[in-house]
Formats: sequence, C-alpha cells, structure tokens
Amino acid sequence: MIRTSTLLSLAIVLLTAVQAAAAETQVISIKTLPAQMRYDVTDFSVAPGSEVKIIFENVDDMPHNLILFQSGTDVVAVATKMMEKPEEAVKRDWLPDDARMIAHTKAVQPKTREEIVFKAPEKPGVYPYVCTFPGHAQQMQGKMRVGVPKPGLSDLKFALYLGDWNRLPNFSTLKPHREGLIANQLLQIKLDDYKNQFGIVYTGKLTTTKDGNYSFYLAGDDGVRLTIDGKMVVEHDGVHNSSEIKEGTVKLAPGEHAFLVEYFQGTGEAEIYLGWKGPDFPVASLSQWVHPSAPLGGGGQPVVKKKTGKTGIPIVVSTEPVIYRNFIANGGARSIGVGYPGGFNLAWNAAQMNLALVWRGEFIDAALHWIDRGGGAQPVLGDDLVRPTGDAAVPFAVLSTPEAPWPREDKYQLAAGYDWKGYELDAKRFPTFSYEWGGVKVREKFTTTGTAAAGGELIRTLTLTGKIPEKSFMRVAVGAVISGENFTLEGGLLIKVDGAQMVGRNLLIPVRPEIKIVYAWPATAPAHHH
Amino acid sequence: MKTFPTLRSIAFLALGMSVADGANPVESEYYKITTFETPKETALEVSAIELLPGGKLALGTRRGEVWTVANSEGAPEKVQYTLFASGHHEVMGLAWKDGSLYETNRYEVTRLKDEDGDGRADTFATVTDKWGVSGDYHEYAFGSRFDKNGDLWVVLCLTGSFGSGAEFRGWAMRVKPDGKLVPTCSGIRSPGGIGFDAAGEVYYTDNQGPWHGASTVQHLIPGSFQGHPGGLKWQDQAPEMGPKPVIPNDRSRMVTERTRIKELVPPAVYMVHGKIGNSSSFIVCDLSKGKFGPYSNQLFVADQSHSNISRVFLEEVNGIKQGVVFPFLKGLKSGPIGGRMNDQGQLFAGGSDRGWGSQGGKPFSFERIDWTGKVPFEVLEMHARADGFELIFTEAVDPATAGQISSYKAREFTYAYQSAYGGPEIADVIPKITGAVVAPDGKSVRLTFDVLTKGHIHELHLDGVRSATGVPILHPVGYYTLNEIPAA
Repeated sequence: MIRTSTLLSLAIVLLTAVQAAAAETQVISIKTLPAQMRYDVTDFSVAPGSEVKIIFENVDDMPHNLILFQSGTDVVAVATKMMEKPEEAVKRDWLPDDARMIAHTKAVQPKTREEIVFKAPEKPGVYPYVCTFPGHAQQMQGKMRVGVPKPGLSDLKFALYLGDWNRLPNFSTLKPHREGLIANQLLQIKLDDYKNQFGIVYTGKLTTTKDGNYSFYLAGDDGVRLTIDGKMVVEHDGVHNSSEIKEGTVKLAPGEHAFLVEYFQGTGEAEIYLGWKGPDFPVASLSQWVHPSAPLGGGGQPVVKKKTGKTGIPIVVSTEPVIYRNFIANGGARSIGVGYPGGFNLAWNAAQMNLALVWRGEFIDAALHWIDRGGGAQPVLGDDLVRPTGDAAVPFAVLSTPEAPWPREDKYQLAAGYDWKGYELDAKRFPTFSYEWGGVKVREKFTTTGTAAAGGELIRTLTLTGKIPEKSFMRVAVGAVISGENFTLEGGLLIKVDGAQMVGRNLLIPVRPEIKIVYAWPATAPAHHH
Repeated sequence: MKTFPTLRSIAFLALGMSVADGANPVESEYYKITTFETPKETALEVSAIELLPGGKLALGTRRGEVWTVANSEGAPEKVQYTLFASGHHEVMGLAWKDGSLYETNRYEVTRLKDEDGDGRADTFATVTDKWGVSGDYHEYAFGSRFDKNGDLWVVLCLTGSFGSGAEFRGWAMRVKPDGKLVPTCSGIRSPGGIGFDAAGEVYYTDNQGPWHGASTVQHLIPGSFQGHPGGLKWQDQAPEMGPKPVIPNDRSRMVTERTRIKELVPPAVYMVHGKIGNSSSFIVCDLSKGKFGPYSNQLFVADQSHSNISRVFLEEVNGIKQGVVFPFLKGLKSGPIGGRMNDQGQLFAGGSDRGWGSQGGKPFSFERIDWTGKVPFEVLEMHARADGFELIFTEAVDPATAGQISSYKAREFTYAYQSAYGGPEIADVIPKITGAVVAPDGKSVRLTFDVLTKGHIHELHLDGVRSATGVPILHPVGYYTLNEIPAA
C-alpha cells in the first residue's frame, strides 16, 4: 500500500466531509502516476448511499481506465480473463462485461480526464477498483471503503523529551519538553530541531477491521519499543543503528487499540521505521521513513520512499571504482557517476566534458532508475555535495581577457567544440576520460589517497596534447574563497592547483599540457556511536 | 498447462491415427522453452542479445550491464555468466565486430573491448554520441547489428508519445564506419526492437499509440517517413533527407495519406492490437537453414506485454513490403525485449516487465527456444494475389476440408491514422470467399475473394482446415496487411 500525501490529505478532507454533510456529493480526484502503472489514490472512504463523483485524470502517456467493482471481486482475475478473448476486449475498449461492475470510466486517453458520478453502495464493505488494460491490473488498483474504517493510525500525538540515555527511560516519570499532533499520522523523527539526545513518545489509536494476527516490523536508531493495548509487542532497546528490523506479532480484534511507541536518540544518525501487516492487507508503513529492507508491500515491489541518505537500491563501492551512467541530478543527462574506494565520488558530465559533482561517503541509489519505468534524475547519496563550477559549463575557453564572461552552456546540449571519446579502465578499474577540444586531445584521470572522511585527497590529472590556443583558460571552480595558498569551496572542499587566480567569482588557470588539481575535505570528527 | 492433450496427440500421431476434434495440437510439442537461472547478484532484465565467437552470448540489460554467457546451448544448469561491463545507461543493442562489442545505450554507441583478456571490458570508446537526450525516461535508443554496408542503425524513441524534445528524437539514424551519424528515416514513434530480414533489409517494431492503431513491423527505407510527425522538426538539420514531408491529416487513413505524402512508407505488418500483442519488441530472422523448423528466412517478432512471439512472412508487392503475421509461441516468463538466434537454430529471448507489466508474470527472464524436430501443421506462407490469397502449408492438406469454402472465414478492417492514442478496428468489410482450390501436390490452396481492400488488414481464420493426417492447424488465424494489391 503506497500512501501519498495526496491520499492522506484527501482522507482527512473526506473524513471531515463525511462527518459534516454526508448528503453532499463527495468528490474524489484520482490521477494516474506517470510511468508507474499506478493510481495516486489507492484507498479512500465514502459514506454509504452518498453521491460520489470521481474525477479521473490520466497524466500518463498511455490510456487507462478506472472500474469499480462489488466487494469481494477478484479484479485481477476479471482483467486477466479478458485477455483470453482479446478480440472482444478490443471491441469493448477493455471494458469488462461483468455484472459486478458498479461504475466505470471509458478508456481515458493520455493527458485527458473523465468524471463519473454514481451512488455509493448502502452495504458497508471494501469495493475494489482497477485498470483493466492488459497487464495493468496487478499494480493498478485501489479500494473504496463504504462505512468501513480504514486500518491505520489516527489521533497520532507526540511528546518530545530531552535527555542523555543509552536505554529507553521510563518516560511517564519525565516532563515533556514539547507536545503536539502529527497531521499525516506517520511516525517521524524531525518534530523539532534537536538532532541528539532526545526521546519521543508517540500515542494514538490503531484501527483494525478484521480479527486476526497482526505483525509489526520495527527498526530504530536508537532504542525503540511498541506497546499495544498496554502490552509490549516488539522492542529493540539500547544504542544501535537502524539496520536490524525486529518483528512482533499480536492477535487483535476489530476496533480501536491504544497505540504507544517509545523512542530515544543518542547521537549521530536518527531513524524510526514501523511497518505492519494484517489479515486483510499486505505490509504497509506506519512511519514516514520506509526501511530499505522492509518486507514487501503490495504489488511485489519494495515500498521505496525517497529520503536523503536512505536508500532503495544503493550501489555499493568496495575495492574498486564503480561506474553508474544515468540521469544524476545536476550532473546533466549524460552523467557518468564514479564511486571510488575511500568514499570519494564524482559525476562527470559527458556533454560538457567537465567535473559536475563531487561528494563523499555513500555513492548513489539506483532505485529511482531501477524500479518501475525509471524516470527522473537521481540525487546523489553521501555528504558534502559540491558543484565545483556551478551550472553545467565547459572546462576550457579562450578569453580575450581573464575578466571576460565564461561561455554559458545548456546542460542538455553537447558542448560546441568538444568531442567525447569515451574512457578506459586501468588494472585497478580507475577510469581515464578522453575528449577533444578543438584539435587538442585531453585525457583526464582521478586518483585518490586515504579516505574522504579523514582528509584524503582526490587528485585530478589532465594531460593535453596538441596546440593549445593562446589566451586559453581552465575554470577550476566558481565562488571559491582564498585560504592561504589554496582555495576552499562551499562545504569546506579544499582545492589546490598551481598558478590559479580568482578573477571575479571564477578560479582560473592558464591552460597547460599538464594540470593537477587536488580536492580534499577537512577530516570529519569520528562518529559518536556505532 | 495442457499436458494431457499433448500426450494424447503424441500418442495418436505415433499410431498414425487421425486426431479427433478437440484434441488440438499444442505449441509445446513443436517448440520447447527453457528458462535459465540468472545471476543472483542482479536483476537480469535482458534487453539485447548478441552472439560471440566460441558459441558464447553477450546479454545487455536495462540496468546497464553486459554479461557474457557460456554453455547456453545445452543443459540449462551448465550455463555460466561473467559480468563484462556495468554501469551503462540501458543497453538496448549489441553488435560484435572485429573483437569489439558495439553497445547502443541511452546516448551513445560505445565500442567495448577487453584489452587485457581478463574477461572484463576495459575500453569504452565513443563511436557516436551525436543524438539528443533531454533527460526524459522515455527516450529509448535501440541499436541494430551491422548491416550489409557495415552501418549500424539506431532508432530513437520520441520524448514520450507525442513530441520530440531533443535532436532527432523520433528518427532512425545510421552510424557509418567512421562514426558519422546520418539521419535516415523520420516518423519513428516508440521503437521496441530493430532487425534485418534474410536479404539484409532493415525493419523496426513500433508500438501502439498516437498515429499507430496497433504495434507494427516497419521497413526502414533510407529517406522515408515512418508515420509519426512528432520528430519532423529536425528535418531542417538533415539536408540529405530533402524537404520536409507533407504533414499527415488527422483522423485519416494510412492508405489515403500515402497518396498525399510521397515519403510515407506504410507498416509492412500490423501486429493486431490485443490479438497478436500490445507491445512489439525484438525482430529475429530465422537464418538457421531449417534448424529452427520449416520457417527459413521468416521473421520472429516478440511482444513484451503478451510475453509471446509471433511469426511474420513478408513479400514485396509494387515495391512495398507487406505480409502476414501468425501467432507462434506464447508462455515466455517475462516481457521479451532482446532476442537472437544462433546458427544451430536456437532462439534466445530475454526481457523484463518493469514499468509496463507483462503476462509472463516474472520481473525478468532469460530463455531459450528449441525446435523439437516435429513440424507443426501451419500456414507457412500467405501470398497476396490479384483476387485473393495463395496459402502454402507446412505439410499436405486434407483436400476435402481445405477445398471447402466453409473451412475459412475472412474479415477486412483497418485503423484510423490519427493523432489520438491507438484506436479501434474500423471500416469492416466482410468479403465473400468465392473459391478454395487445393493444388495437386496438396501443399497449397488458392483462395479467391469477391473483394480485397487496399490498405486493410485481411484477417483469415482457417478453423475447418485439416492436414492430410487429419490434424487441425496449430494457429488457425493470420492477419495480412494488404498495402498493395498485386496485378493479375
């Protein structure tokens, strides 16, 4: 079950609407999610017998429909059955011939919408809806609840405590520093500006709709405990990272249950994940952060939520450099990401022939590109991301004077006057990039010393052969600050290069056959725990 | 799984008895699908397959990896995978030449070579990168192998379904041996594969959508317009292509617009939507000289959505390619994208269902299809004639049923040629079959129709026809795209 903010705010709006004026038409807006074979709203509630208007907008680039069925209909089976007689299905535009249909759109073409109005059933129940185009039904479905509460959290409140603990304290004896409501009903850490040494107690109501066993999946950094109806279900106390998911199971009757989660943060990373699975639904998250190793949700795909520093399919760098060519945010459409051992990472822009990004720590997450159709530009993982020359730009230019403006480039265009020639890997799999600038052949290689976290260096060596034009400059960085003989950039990235001068905001050097540029970050303080 | 009828029909045939109605032959008697285990450390979403020297294969994947595969010809548990390269942006084409692997990825043709002989590529030389990439996920690039002139072809998907957001999106390009990129055909929409026929002519598959009532197999003739006007804005940058074609009228017919637009080449075959498939992908020509069964030189075209493979027979009438598609084999495990046949007539297919779904149900797969050595009773070839069709069968027919008009049923229809997405089958014509004459050798039947409709798809059902041994046709329906009606 994938919840989106749209869904949640919709659910809240609906709840109010249901309470206030059940007689009025309830308007539900449902969109297709581009390139994902999914609806953006997959679970909503309406009052029994009320008039319902669904505004279905197809923003994808292929046709979809939305067909609502009687409670208990196996909608995947309905869609699959149609594929046995495709001839008939095509004639009907993939509209099933099935008496269990309650309401339906026609085939809604890309970038168009359709509104349908119908009377909600009087009988309480969960009514499934689905797209019946071939191959869509498995993922593209949702449920309309009529007079049936939705399993999940409500009235979620938090109380934040300050203190330095290495195990969960008895919060009931302590005085909260701050209290409040959590509007999106999801457990989350960032309820205040405190990064270290605090605790949070979450309380609320957990609604279940079916009698049976419920499994809970809990992970925390640091200690965390779940209690339902006064009974501890699962805990992972003490100081630790969030890699381990603990599981606990409890039998619950339908109805509302007292929900309590206690959590504390020592220092360093802070996270909380809580998922649950019931007899009538697959694993769903009750926390804002979804653990990368969380059990699978509906639809057979890991439930992935993007969050800086947390991953779905991280590309791990171990003993040799790893290359990742794809759309990397701010790296251009022809990015070549390279993760080097020692925590050095860069994105090379093969349209502009320049170093676009440098960062340290973790390399990159491929989930955005390797789940569903794979659209979008992926922000990097790790820390201290720097764009040495800011927006996409070429490395070399002939300037009438050093003060002349640097040529501007469109990051999606191949830079004029440059030719990308590819790369080679040496015995240790370190790439050397090759390109031509006019008649000049350029080879560029990055090597490393030590680790990026402990003051190690990323050394960029450029070798140019051919006639270098007069008055040509390399722009090494933009917005650097002189510090002694060297320069620093945002985030503290230190740049060492011979013969450099700041001209306006540009850090320039005259182009020469051998250029060596050293990048390094100050050493970080050792981590406090783990 | 229909194992029972399989056994029964084998038993009947072994005894030389005729198969009773209802005990229909099944595909698995004739073609066997072997599904390989794949490397645990990756999702092997195979999107390109090429043959390497020494009986090895190269597999390219959507995750941007290239794997070499040994021992793929025999028992599946013996298969061995080696990671040759990784981190590339979607490998949608592989071609082996002179010790290098030429890879078509999102924004380049790259030449990969293993210089130090350790089994992993270490040189990644850019052959060309001169087409546009806007950052939209839909801008796929499918690459061919080298054609008879030594050129490599790349078909560039539009930016989405409707428009062209970067240079030459919606075009077929040729990469010359010196790396020069030559705009060659306009009018591409959303390719799913590219391949050659036995004579080395180039074809690609396009997908149902705007200006496409169904997926298609299209003949890439240099200088032609393939039907979707979204990319024509780049014509000014392609002087060798001449002036921009006339823009097609919306809600028209292909046959009508052909009279207005001289560069417009109609699809050689419509892969009838929902029946043959929903999303055509690879094109493989059977050059195995009979090792893959009776279909020498015919094309095998896969469908990513239906997880199947269809069979296409093409002919040329009045200078235009056209022909028929028959179902061939269903039951692949995922959505096929990459395909290749080796000299022993083993067809390799791999794919992924990611983003669009597929009937196979598995997220990715790598499979092999072998002919069992048994010839199915099928329509081998379907030729257009001035007043009907000539059917050639894989084995002798039963003259009584094959000579009987009521054994056949025909229908003619087309799709609107329009800017809206897809579209229904329209303009039905139900022809009267006026004759069914069996040739003296029993291997062919001459059908005459009271009316043929130029530009229409001619759907022919042969449910009543039996072989000389009483077997019904394995796939008793074909769809012939009649772009041209031959003179008498």
